[in-house]
Amino acid sequence: MRRLIAVSALAVSAVLLAGCAQAPTPTATTDATAPDYCARMVTNSGGLDDRSFNQSSWEGLQEAATKYNIDTEAIVSTSETDLAPNVSQAVATGCQFVLTVGFELADATLAEATANPDVHFAIVDEVVDAPNVKPIVFDTAQAAFLAGYLAAGVSKTGIVATFGGGNQPPVTLFMDGFVDGVAMYNDKHKVAVQVLGWNKDTQDGSFTGDFEDVNKGKALAQSFIDLGADIILPVAGQVGQGAAAAAIETPGVSIIWVDNDGYVTLPAQFQSVVLTSVLKNTSAAVVEAIGADLDGNFDNAPFVGTLENGGVEIADFHDQSALVSVELVGEIEQIRSAIIAGIITVTGPSSPQ
Amino acid sequence: MSTLTQSSAPASTPIVKPAAQIRSWKIPITFGSFAVLSLFLFVVLGRGLRGELSTFRLSEGRDLIQLPEVALPTFATGVFVAVVLVLMAAASAWLVYRHTKIPIVLTILFALLFLVGFLAWAASGSTIPVPGLLIGTVTLSAPLIFGALGGVLSERAGVVNVAIEGQLLAGAFSSAVVASATGNPYLGLLAAMVAGALVSMVLAAFVLKYLVDQVIVGVVLNVLVIGLTSFLYSQVLAPSANLNSPDVFPRLNVPFLSEIPIIGPVLFRQTIIVYVMYVAIALVYFGLFRTKWGLRVRAVGEHPQAADTVGINVNRTRFIAVTLGGVISGFGGAYFTLGAVGAFNKEMTNGMGFIALAAVIFGQWHPIKATLAALLFGFATNLQNVLGIIGSPVPSEFMLMLPYVVTIFAVAGFVGRSRAPAADGKPYIK
Repeated sequence: MRRLIAVSALAVSAVLLAGCAQAPTPTATTDATAPDYCARMVTNSGGLDDRSFNQSSWEGLQEAATKYNIDTEAIVSTSETDLAPNVSQAVATGCQFVLTVGFELADATLAEATANPDVHFAIVDEVVDAPNVKPIVFDTAQAAFLAGYLAAGVSKTGIVATFGGGNQPPVTLFMDGFVDGVAMYNDKHKVAVQVLGWNKDTQDGSFTGDFEDVNKGKALAQSFIDLGADIILPVAGQVGQGAAAAAIETPGVSIIWVDNDGYVTLPAQFQSVVLTSVLKNTSAAVVEAIGADLDGNFDNAPFVGTLENGGVEIADFHDQSALVSVELVGEIEQIRSAIIAGIITVTGPSSPQ
Repeated sequence: MSTLTQSSAPASTPIVKPAAQIRSWKIPITFGSFAVLSLFLFVVLGRGLRGELSTFRLSEGRDLIQLPEVALPTFATGVFVAVVLVLMAAASAWLVYRHTKIPIVLTILFALLFLVGFLAWAASGSTIPVPGLLIGTVTLSAPLIFGALGGVLSERAGVVNVAIEGQLLAGAFSSAVVASATGNPYLGLLAAMVAGALVSMVLAAFVLKYLVDQVIVGVVLNVLVIGLTSFLYSQVLAPSANLNSPDVFPRLNVPFLSEIPIIGPVLFRQTIIVYVMYVAIALVYFGLFRTKWGLRVRAVGEHPQAADTVGINVNRTRFIAVTLGGVISGFGGAYFTLGAVGAFNKEMTNGMGFIALAAVIFGQWHPIKATLAALLFGFATNLQNVLGIIGSPVPSEFMLMLPYVVTIFAVAGFVGRSRAPAADGKPYIK
């Protein structure tokens, strides 16, 4: 009996604490008098503090909450099996708007959208074709193209590198654009800057296999550095921090962060090695989608974030701006206008349609 | 009377060990399969690589003594290696046929030679940075080695330690927080040890006092620590970043030793955590096999009744061993934050504790062998990194399996039968 009590006490506390971690952060609304419009968000297994799209979607939702004075709340998934129940739970709250984040949620979103035609859905990073689902996707290859051009221009060793957390379309889209950007630089300047870690033709390259173990990211980045790379683009969530840690140890090595401005979001000691970041402006797109829905202008046409509409961008060079020559900045500006004007098209197998 | 004479007759005949008559063909079969594999890879597939060179870079730019790069002709090296491997496989078969024990040197030579052949084949037309490959191995293995040492200590005393993952994670979390809050990374190390010890004390208390199933407590503890650290991360660390920016230990070069070619950069240009690891390996080995305390620990793990009979307090000995194991594992957790990256992240140990547990078993519950098993895993992981970068025709998803496949083959082929301490996992009830 004692054993039973002991083990159940331990198990209960484990479940309780695990439950604590999943608990949705309390609502961000200032208005407690239950406004008639509310929005719910379901994360993928990355959680709310992933320094990536869950976090920026949640920031967008919070911004919308203050801007439009609506009620918002997030439901955090911790594993693949949580996804569908969490979407159902979000729908069951009776809210008019449900935002799901991540391609893993596509099936669950489609199922709930079909079952509840009156509820409006939006999904980040994946295209779901239903009359009441608005896909919010980003053509990150456009911004990564600029980052690749920049990296090729800044690299002193003539070798740059990229790696991903897993071989998935939202990840490899960055890598495609990066490789193309370097190729463009090589064309224009008649040089041969080499990209390690991604082969656009075979659609295969270097991956850490997960988005958690920073130590793996560090070892992989170190291997790139050993082979001569001096600029690394990690597309692997927090695993990218390992690349930043490897860069700090070797003078002259920089990284390019993704999703948000690494200079701001990474711990302070990494600021000095962030060359730039490939930004994905999820929060603004979320605010816009909710705003449109409030005005009664909801539609299911995909929002594709591009350089043109500010959905994707490259960040400021911060501490490393001295490395970027004025001519290079000028060339990047030209390419940006050329991409916006459609003179240069950045495409790949993972590009949003 | 007659029965008595009958029964005493066989006893007087000399006892012949039947085991000596059984030939184990495992090693020749393993050697043979690897020899055939190398014939196929290096000779059949390697024909297309004629004229290519495989370059091994043996020095880093900052080394004092610069070794020249070694460029081997890919195909010729492959043929040479394959032929020698076939000969060695034949030799091992002959030795087994003659009932002679296969010397361990032969196994080591075989493995090394296969590795050289494999690297030469995989790196045709490109350069392999050998020091970098090995430095990365230490980086990836360090937390595994700490975890495995903690596991060995605990399991030798008869307590199954599934909670290594939790101990590593608790160590990583508390070292990051304490080192950031106090500004002193050494206090962070201390905190990591305390955290690891606390996790293992919970394990010990439930297992020794309440006799709960050891595997279940371990699994539940892992979930508990993951939940607790993730919760504290999002509620405490994420909002206040200054609690999660510890100073990373700098690399310290050991004078003279760090200038030895290859070995120097790999072993003697490390952080203090890795130097402590060397000491820990030696201490655990010495403690377990050369001290009275170690004899007692092993006694309670093998035969607690016998140990109790001679006056050893079984549960107290176990409690101390499990706690010490937690101290070592927790210290290893600090490697993630203070040794490698300088920030705690959710679930950042990502299953390394379970690989460490596997290293304990592959290493036959022996500290040195478990260390080697952990190093093998780290090496295979980093080899996969390097081969992926220099361009391998194998899809990356398959490459990511390499460390696991290598571990399974190494265990099945080269390591003998793994026998756990006899009382491992069994509570002692007087």
